[in-house]
Amino acid sequence: MLAPLSWLKEFVPITMTTRDLAWRLTELGIGVEAIRSVNGEEVLELEITPNRPDLLSIVGIAREIAAIQNITLATTPIPSIKASQKLSIIVHNDYSLFPRYTGIILDTITIKPSPEWLSKRLTLMNLRPINNIVDITNYVMYEYGIPLHAFDYDEIKGHELWVSKAEGGEAFTTVDNLSYKLPKNAIIIRDTERIIDLCGIKGGLNSGIKPATKTVYLQVTADDPLLIRKASQKLALRSDASAIFERGIDKGNLLTTLWRAANLMMELGGGSVASELIDLKKTEYKPRSLVLGLDRLERVIGVKIPEKTILTILKNLNLSPTLSGKTVTVTVPTFREDLKIEEDIMEEVARVYGYNNFPKTLPSSSPPETIIPHHRDFTVENKLKNILEGIGYSEVYTYSLTDKESLEKIGSDPHTAIRLTNPISREYEYLRTNLLSHLLEGLKLNEPITDDCNLFEYGKTYHAPSENPVEQYEIAIVRADGNYRTLKGCVETLLLRLTGADSIVFEPQSKLNTYPYNPEIFAVIKIGKEIVGKIGKISPDTVSRFALKTAPVAAELDIQTIQHFFTVPQYHPVPNVPSTIEDLSFTGTSHVAIGQVIDTIKNTDPKVWSVQLLDSYSNSHTFRVTYQDPQKTLESKEVKEIREKIIHGVNETFHLILKS
Amino acid sequence: MKEDLTTLRKTVFETLQKITDSKQLDDYWLSVFGKNGLFTKISKNIKTVPQENRAEMGILLNKTKKEIDAGFESKKKTIIQSQHTDWFDVTIPGTRPTLGHLHPQTYALRTLVDIFTYLGYQVADGPEIESDWYNFGSLNFPDNHPARDTQQSLHIETPNASKTDKTILRTQTSAMQVRVMEKMPPPFRVIVPGKTYRYDAVDASHGFEFWQLEGFAVDKNITLTDLFGTIDYVLKQLMGPETKLRFACTNFPFVEPGVDTYMECTVCHGKGCAFCKQSGWSEIMPAGMIHPNVLKAAKIDSLKWQGFAFCIGLSRAVTLRYGMDDLRLLTTLDTRILNQF
Repeated sequence: MLAPLSWLKEFVPITMTTRDLAWRLTELGIGVEAIRSVNGEEVLELEITPNRPDLLSIVGIAREIAAIQNITLATTPIPSIKASQKLSIIVHNDYSLFPRYTGIILDTITIKPSPEWLSKRLTLMNLRPINNIVDITNYVMYEYGIPLHAFDYDEIKGHELWVSKAEGGEAFTTVDNLSYKLPKNAIIIRDTERIIDLCGIKGGLNSGIKPATKTVYLQVTADDPLLIRKASQKLALRSDASAIFERGIDKGNLLTTLWRAANLMMELGGGSVASELIDLKKTEYKPRSLVLGLDRLERVIGVKIPEKTILTILKNLNLSPTLSGKTVTVTVPTFREDLKIEEDIMEEVARVYGYNNFPKTLPSSSPPETIIPHHRDFTVENKLKNILEGIGYSEVYTYSLTDKESLEKIGSDPHTAIRLTNPISREYEYLRTNLLSHLLEGLKLNEPITDDCNLFEYGKTYHAPSENPVEQYEIAIVRADGNYRTLKGCVETLLLRLTGADSIVFEPQSKLNTYPYNPEIFAVIKIGKEIVGKIGKISPDTVSRFALKTAPVAAELDIQTIQHFFTVPQYHPVPNVPSTIEDLSFTGTSHVAIGQVIDTIKNTDPKVWSVQLLDSYSNSHTFRVTYQDPQKTLESKEVKEIREKIIHGVNETFHLILKS
Repeated sequence: MKEDLTTLRKTVFETLQKITDSKQLDDYWLSVFGKNGLFTKISKNIKTVPQENRAEMGILLNKTKKEIDAGFESKKKTIIQSQHTDWFDVTIPGTRPTLGHLHPQTYALRTLVDIFTYLGYQVADGPEIESDWYNFGSLNFPDNHPARDTQQSLHIETPNASKTDKTILRTQTSAMQVRVMEKMPPPFRVIVPGKTYRYDAVDASHGFEFWQLEGFAVDKNITLTDLFGTIDYVLKQLMGPETKLRFACTNFPFVEPGVDTYMECTVCHGKGCAFCKQSGWSEIMPAGMIHPNVLKAAKIDSLKWQGFAFCIGLSRAVTLRYGMDDLRLLTTLDTRILNQF
């Protein structure tokens, strides 16, 4: 909504600077987007919230300015008009579409350009002046916030009107000579032959005011907000009128608007009233009463505002307050349909009082202790991220929305992904099913920047069917250097620190579909028997799809499952007898799974405390074995026995021989 | 005795010449001046010296001790000096450990969770694929109300639409209000950080996918001034004590009275820039007292219980906190940016 200061000043004196006014209006709830300068005049550009149709008018904004300056808006009453019986029109109203319908005929009107003061104001409102009659309908709409429409009476065939809904598909040309196919249920007016108005949005070219028009039929209606909104959305055709109708029109002031416009038309176009006043309605539209409890006001806003101040604020907003004991009764005019409950009146008091005049407090009651439903625990997430930060990985956040190509590049079937029906573009059409794709794009992007790129993302992935979607937290980690052992070590550290589990297993799974991983360098990660993730080198064809220079390594972990294994570490007493440590070197055939060798050594005897791979070169592997009995110092005889069992076991299973 | 001292003095100086390290020097000092040291033994013999010569002998003893001590002292200096390297460059760069980098959003979120935990809030988490009821209906957004235009939703393709009501991506984390409140009686203090989605054009300060942090508190005596105080406390903790804030009235269907919070733009410090649309102020935290219809939707008696709700544009707060001039920087994959934090 645009509001020229000079027009506002016609209704209210403005004593503040424009900059102060702009902030006070914003504080009041009328967002000032900009202060424009048009032809040397200041014009406010305002953002009007959907609950306030009355603020789409100069009078409405002036009323609010009056309230913040602690004055009451003085409006001069609009003189009614004298009916005549010279001409007539028959209106068949549909009250479900127009709860109220008003109209009047004016004849012997002269169509001519508007006087300068009028065209100047419309120009400030960013509107091109057309002729006196059309300009007046626009002028009065901006002045009072109620749209009007003027027909050429002689173009209304049969002088009979039907208010109805469009079937859908009817052709209609608007007054600005644009053609539309009407959507179903748009409100229209027909005469005996054709559609002459797309109500609440735009008039028809066939019945519009022309330079030769002599007789004007002026109509002011209360259109159903929902139908106007739907039609204007379907047509992608919004007008100042439709913005008002959508918000809900002031049904109590149709007649005064009609009078105001008719008077102005006769003043600027000559002519006279030529018909009875048409006012079709099923009910009276009168001010309503609402009650505000002063105790409740204080309990909700948290501060005691003096009664006198409350009453003045409400009076300045034209709410005619009366005080009785501890309650204020207000009379809500029809232009404030948004005021429905007691809390709405509280807001009126609070906003004019000024939010920035309130003290600031914190809730005085003690916080609730019960764990809430849908509770989110950050322990695992924080720990994971801290470790990854400590060992050199950079965190990214990427969009959950992605494109088909990004899913296909990683070998994810788009049919298992959830698709949007109205994506903002093809780039953001699907919800991601994995975190890996964006990370590999990240490695590509960083190739020219660094050789040493380690990235991770913690976030949700989304899985079909869309009738029963699964959203799950995952973490994915990638290393550009392709070093499997380093990444595996990271994953081991993460899992060990989180779960304390001593049964983390990396299981080769070459039979599974391991895409996008290289099947030769791929393992499923398990804690005990439960799968918690996967790790491997990215397959050569995936590498080429992402146009990467070398194959990175990646791991993906399922957070929900890991969370089940999370434990607080428990203290174990440290043995206070010395251990025996020795290095054993074995040599033998190639393709020996070292992980299994270590397991075999470890499982030889409970006194084998730990086994560590020290060195591995061609087919020769050195292990550091720690023997420990927590109760007593092991004798060399005992160690020897265990060692022999180890050598025997390793030889039997893996054909490795101890190097002397 | 006199000869003994002369011999000792000579032996000591000869021996000192051969000594090369501090340990040897300390051991040798003990063998001279220790309990059974050579000098100690000689000095004990003073008792056998005739009375008339004792004073002279005493003087000699002291003189010899001083000379030997000086010998040790000078040797010590020589040894220490010999241990010095010629020159060491302390300005050489340190070898830094290879640390990674958490995302600024993680840091900001952690700070916010800490602040709210201190104020007694708990964190809730919920679905991003949401029903119209929780996202709009339960929050007092009537069907087809123009308020919905400000939050146009992205719709999910559902081949069997009759089997689900979760058909949109949530446009606001407020969708969790009734989800939490309907499952437990009040009081509540809850925050909900998470992703939200809108059918919206992308520019420096708007996106189609962004993070919010919803919060709400319900109790018997929670007031509008508590809301102002909470916003003020939280934003000053997050953005620094110098943060300038101001409140304005606004309309959101799920609050009444409605509040909007403006923070002085941290990019231009109030001068006006592209990020704050030249206003010098950035809208950061819409809020208000929870509308009675929302409490009703959660089956809570709105005459007994009242509360406030607020929403921090988390993505926007992160950019403001770290002086970033574009929301799209938050989803960058460029390590030159990521590794600045």
